[in-house]
This record gives sequence, structure tokens and C-alpha cells, in this order.
Amino acid sequence: MSADRLNPVIHAPARLRLMVTLAALPHGDNLSFTRLQDLIGLTPGNLITHLRKLDDAGYVQMTKSGSGVSALTTVALTHEGRAALEHYTAVLRQLLESAEPAQPR
Amino acid sequence: MKDGAGASEAAGMDARGAAVIMWEARERARRELTVNCPAIFASWALVYLLGYGVVWLSVRGQQPFHAPAGWALALVTLLALLALGVTAGVTDRAASGVGGVSALRRRIYWLSLAIGLLWDIVMQLALRSAGANRGVLSVFAASAPLLVAGVVLVAGTAAWLNWYMFGLGIWLIAVAAFSGFAGPAGVWAVDALAVGIPFLLMAAITLAPRRS
Repeated sequence: MSADRLNPVIHAPARLRLMVTLAALPHGDNLSFTRLQDLIGLTPGNLITHLRKLDDAGYVQMTKSGSGVSALTTVALTHEGRAALEHYTAVLRQLLESAEPAQPR
Repeated sequence: MKDGAGASEAAGMDARGAAVIMWEARERARRELTVNCPAIFASWALVYLLGYGVVWLSVRGQQPFHAPAGWALALVTLLALLALGVTAGVTDRAASGVGGVSALRRRIYWLSLAIGLLWDIVMQLALRSAGANRGVLSVFAASAPLLVAGVVLVAGTAAWLNWYMFGLGIWLIAVAAFSGFAGPAGVWAVDALAVGIPFLLMAAITLAPRRS
């Protein structure tokens, strides 16, 4: 079962979790950095690394507001990100279905 | 900075592993970001079955009708405040860190409810001031909060497209409209059963998928 056809930007456990979690929100919603960290279970450093990768690909939008103690970073999935995740899911489904006959009965 | 960690993780993840991760992440997001409805429905079922039930016990058999006992009304108020607290707490827990359109909808929803409850209080004072008798005041006190909650739920459907909420809202409005025919004492019993039991059922229905 080859995973080469899967989008490499999304196809990493942490980023896949991030994308799926953000996709669970209705369109127009965003999630704070700290809540996202709670849900994914990554250190702030790891989380920002993966978010930057997704941001560079245009899949998420990070917005900073306020400053100092009241600074808030929010993250939202973009249209491109949602479309990319849907495509990733479709390819994944194809891979799983094509692998199905090879399974021992 | 190279994405060394991500690349090495991806190398060890096949399609099946990715599917498992997606399922787990989706389930966790659903569990953590969705409002825990059973707790909310159960707390409101308690308000009606216990609170309204106790008020009915305090007024049944009054000839002529006098008024609900002060301690019974105090119990309803206390239970309603507790249920509001549970509703706010559970909603806030799920909504913590979530911003954007949903947060705006939530604020409008709570504002609508607060305005509705304020209308209820002012209207009761106006009826009293206009010389309404104790029977009319009793019917209004029992049913007006149901009308407010029903209208807010029905209006909320436009934002959340939750048809269970819509059905419940319509039911509350219908109960508010017709339960008054049971009289100033009977209205409390009708409201207790006609609202308490559906809330209890909704708590059970919304709890069921979580256990499966």
C-alpha cells in the first residue's frame, strides 16, 4: 500500500491531526493556539513548526491580535486547506480500497 | 528549519495509519468541541419535573386559588439558576478558544435569552400593576419562560440548523400557549410533565451515541 500519492504537506501525523481538527470547525471559525495545543498534544515549538509548514502551503491562516499578556494567536483552515484535506481523504480512500482485495480472507 | 520530525514521522505512516489518525483526531475534536447536550437537558428536566412539580404540590387543592408557596418559587428559581450555570459552563467548555462566526452566534443567542427573560420579569410587574388577578399571574409565571425559551430555540435553528432544537422550541411554544387552559394550579403540573419529560428524553437520546 503506497502512500506516495498522498500530499506530503498533510501526510505527517501531527499535521494530519491539525488539519482534521481545524476541519471539524464550521467554516468561518478559528481556534486559539493554546486550545489547539491542548487538542493536539504538541509542545508550542513543535506546533508552530507544523503550523508554519501548513501556512506556507496556504492551508491554514494564522492571525495574531493584541500584544503582551493579551496577545492571541488564532488558526483557521483556509478554503485551499479544506480542499486539500478533501483531496487527501479521497486519495486515502482509494488507497485503502485498492489494498482491500490483497488482504487475507 | 527543515521539517525533519514531520518527514521521519510520515515515512513510518502508511495509508491505514493515516486513516486511524484521522478517525482519532475527528472523534477527539467532536468530543471536545461539541456542547455536551445531555448535561444541559438533564439539568432543565430537573427544573421542570422537580421545580414545577413542587410548585404544583404547593398550589393544588387551593380553593380559591391563592398563590404558589414562596419556598417553592425560590426552589424553582434556584434550580433554574443552577441549570443556567450548567448550560453556560458546558457551552463555555466546548467553545473555549473557538472564535469567529460561532462565537458571534453564541453571544447573540445569550443576549436574546437575557432580553427575553428580562421581558418576562417586566411583563409580570406590568400585569401586577394593571391589576391582574393571582390566577392570571400564576399562568403567566409558569408559561412565559417557556415561550421565551421556545422562541430563542426556534430562532437559534437559523444559525445552527439543529432540527432537534427547532422541534423542541416549537413544542415549548405550544406548551406555553395551551397549558394555561389547565388553570392557575394545573398549569404547573402540565408544564412540569409536558416539558420535563421531553427534556429527559432528549438527555437520553443525546447520551446514546456517546456510549455506542
